[in-house]
Amino acid sequence: MRIGHVIGKVTMSIQEEAFRGGRWLVINPVDTEDLNSCIEQQPKLSTQSSLIVYDNIGAGEGDIIGFVEGAEATAPFDDPTPIDAISLAIFDTLKYVAPAN
Amino acid sequence: MLHCQVVGNAVATAKHHSLDGFKMLLCQQLDAEQQPSGTPFIAIDLFGAGMHQKVFVSTDGIGARDIVHDQHSPIRMFIQGIID
Repeated sequence: MRIGHVIGKVTMSIQEEAFRGGRWLVINPVDTEDLNSCIEQQPKLSTQSSLIVYDNIGAGEGDIIGFVEGAEATAPFDDPTPIDAISLAIFDTLKYVAPAN
Repeated sequence: MLHCQVVGNAVATAKHHSLDGFKMLLCQQLDAEQQPSGTPFIAIDLFGAGMHQKVFVSTDGIGARDIVHDQHSPIRMFIQGIID
């Protein structure tokens, strides 16, 4: 699971029936140097590309979330669903300690 | 399988139910010179890996679903072993 900062949302009036009940979030990945401070203060925009993630755990703008990309994103759905990225966790704390070598 | 080093941890209250009871560790991939490279990511841990220990991380979703005993879990990364 990668770590991202919710920077926006997407609304769609026409979408696959299976997506009902969730929301779509615009995610910007969090850079290594921002990992320790990103919960308390908004991290700077990363140069890594932003992406859209499906969310049904209740994340909103400003949250730091964990998301999974790839075929695993379809696993929570009962039927085959065209989806490539899904949120998994809203982080309360994140601790990064750079290796000393 | 990725050769990684544990560089931190993460705590989340709101999460997918399949993550309940699993420790989430921040892992960073190591390059050929054993130096950390790339952005850290989260893997679930079953073995009690400690800070800065070197580990193998599997990116196999099928294996991860078996480990959490939930075939509807989107988890992908899990620590497969601690390197001596």
